[in-house]
Amino acid sequence: MSTTRHLVNRRRRLATTPSRTPGAGAEPAYGQPEAGQEPEAAASAAPNTDTADDSRADEAPRPSRLRVTLPAVLCALTVLLGAVAVWAFASASSLRDEPARQNAALTDIGRTSEVKGRISEAVGAVFSYDYASPARSDRAASTYLTGRAVQQHKDMLADVREQAPKQKLVLTTTVTESGVEFLDGDRARLLIFADQSNTRTGKDEETTYAAAMFAVDAVRRGDTWLIAAIDTFTR
Amino acid sequence: MARRRTTTVSTGTSGTRGTSRTTGTSGTRGTSRTTGTRNPTLLAALALVVCAAGAAGWGGWQRYEASHDDAASFAQARDDALAAGEQAVQNMNTLDHKELEQGLDSWEQSTTGDLRRQLVDGRDDFARQIAEAKTVSTAKVLSGAVTELDERAGRAGVMVALRVTVTAPKGEPAVKESRLLGTLTRTSGGWKLSALGQAPVGSTGG
Repeated sequence: MSTTRHLVNRRRRLATTPSRTPGAGAEPAYGQPEAGQEPEAAASAAPNTDTADDSRADEAPRPSRLRVTLPAVLCALTVLLGAVAVWAFASASSLRDEPARQNAALTDIGRTSEVKGRISEAVGAVFSYDYASPARSDRAASTYLTGRAVQQHKDMLADVREQAPKQKLVLTTTVTESGVEFLDGDRARLLIFADQSNTRTGKDEETTYAAAMFAVDAVRRGDTWLIAAIDTFTR
Repeated sequence: MARRRTTTVSTGTSGTRGTSRTTGTSGTRGTSRTTGTRNPTLLAALALVVCAAGAAGWGGWQRYEASHDDAASFAQARDDALAAGEQAVQNMNTLDHKELEQGLDSWEQSTTGDLRRQLVDGRDDFARQIAEAKTVSTAKVLSGAVTELDERAGRAGVMVALRVTVTAPKGEPAVKESRLLGTLTRTSGGWKLSALGQAPVGSTGG
């Protein structure tokens, strides 16, 4: 490979050199063997630089500069874009984790009205008592109550249960107003305003009304909501 | 056996590829191509930049979605309305006869519309009554909830469970719990009470 180029270049050299070293064209002079060799050495060195120059003369200086600046630019870009990405994700997640967003009360209209309806129904059923059919109250308690609310309900209705047969009591609770304070997934807290009518169906029928307000913690079990705790705001 | 065959085949192909590559790169063409292929670090850096740009774009979109969430602004309005409503209800049930003017000013600041007009009209009479009775009322919000919210119209309904303690110069302080329903209207100065009343009793009991 190099030999052919060598020869070509040598011929090229020889074609140009005669003007500089006359007589060296046909036969090199005796005392100057180096003079003949020198151009040859120069020629052997020249082609390499020549060919290199041919290809690199246009491109070589640019890549060498690019090799320094381009990676640096890319590096800086990566760091910059990476920082932007990290900030954006962190900021997005912190926005999502705001307590206001965790609470789906009213923002999720379907769930809000579902829990309101279901808990209003539950409160009405659980806090109503008819001396004639105490079993209905027990059934309501077992369907709508869970956890701490079971015992709380038992304590709250203890007096009613005791007096009901004697006074022929009919206690009816109706939720007049309810609002969802907090709703997150399968947990909710509601504020309930309810009216309680207490009717003594003895000799002289008498109905008294009482206003009740309390908060209810609700949990979702399956596809229904249950009362898990009752907060009557006692001090 | 099959495995061996495949391995020999693969080495064969790699060998031929290798030779073809060496012949291809030798020569002037090779040098011009090297700027693209001979720099794996450059390629890796480019890939990293593309990845980082993708991540930044995705993150930006996520952030945009998070900050332009309708439900989020609605939730914020709900919480603002509730906080303002609870504060207003508490203000309206707190009054010290020794700081009468201050207390009545805070009543007027908490309200707007008809309710505020009523308060302004009845202020003098009421101030006289309180000054005579020398009572001190303090209120504590037990619980509160937003029952309805129309963000566009700037109206909200709140229900508040309140405990009011009224202390007269003589006798024990009287503690009363009340169920309040309020309507809030959004003004330039935030949510303010435009109506407030006790939840009626016995209306649905019959």
